Amino acid sequence: MRILLMGHPNVGKSVVFNRITGANVTESNYPGTTVDYEKGYVRIGHEEMEVIDVPGTFSLEPKDKAEEVAVKMLERNKDSVVVCIIDSTKIERGLYLALEIIERGSRVVVALNMWDIAEDKNINIDVEKLRQILGVPVVPTIAVSGEGIKELVSRISGATSVKIESVMKNVGGS
Amino acid sequence: MEKKLSEMKYGAQGIVKSIKGDLRNKVAGMGIRVNKRIRMATKQPIKGPVVVTVDESNISLGLGIAENIIVEVEK
Repeated sequence: MRILLMGHPNVGKSVVFNRITGANVTESNYPGTTVDYEKGYVRIGHEEMEVIDVPGTFSLEPKDKAEEVAVKMLERNKDSVVVCIIDSTKIERGLYLALEIIERGSRVVVALNMWDIAEDKNINIDVEKLRQILGVPVVPTIAVSGEGIKELVSRISGATSVKIESVMKNVGGS
Repeated sequence: MEKKLSEMKYGAQGIVKSIKGDLRNKVAGMGIRVNKRIRMATKQPIKGPVVVTVDESNISLGLGIAENIIVEVEK
């Protein structure tokens, strides 16, 4: 099984990648560090899984080369689990992408990364409610310190795909 | 007062009123949508891009895009 790490540029995909696989790809503090993709492996239970660090993309309508790579990766790996990494301090933008990925029918796990920075900025996110609305696992993470990564990995094998209509229904009902 | 995003002054704030049809999806991924609060951060001279702040993050938009976003500017 394949795991795709997707998210906006500069949300920490590569840091999460390194944490999960123990690899050492370049991390830097500016967006657009990953323009090609990286591959690594992780063993969950008895299964060896391939993890792919996808270049950052704002949406699934590509506007540049790196985004094209990202969208193609998703299209070619329809049966993979997508870990959608969101910058908790800019959660709205991230959720837009997450919904787009859910809409395409992929199995999704949402990682709310940079959770510590969001706390510093007094941004409170109701994780439980988000979980209910989206119907997919939502895990707060701090990739630079490794917090939440174990839980994130443990949620991957249980991920299921969700119908966008049911997400819409949950939003309307709350 | 309604203005094109490209005509906003430095530091001006406002609420996005409308976005021209096909642009809507393009800018949605960057966090710009109708009813969102937006602030002009920088404007580059000679038809250069504009930088706006939405939800704590800066986004630079080409003039062609900025001209097609209408903002209700606050005094």
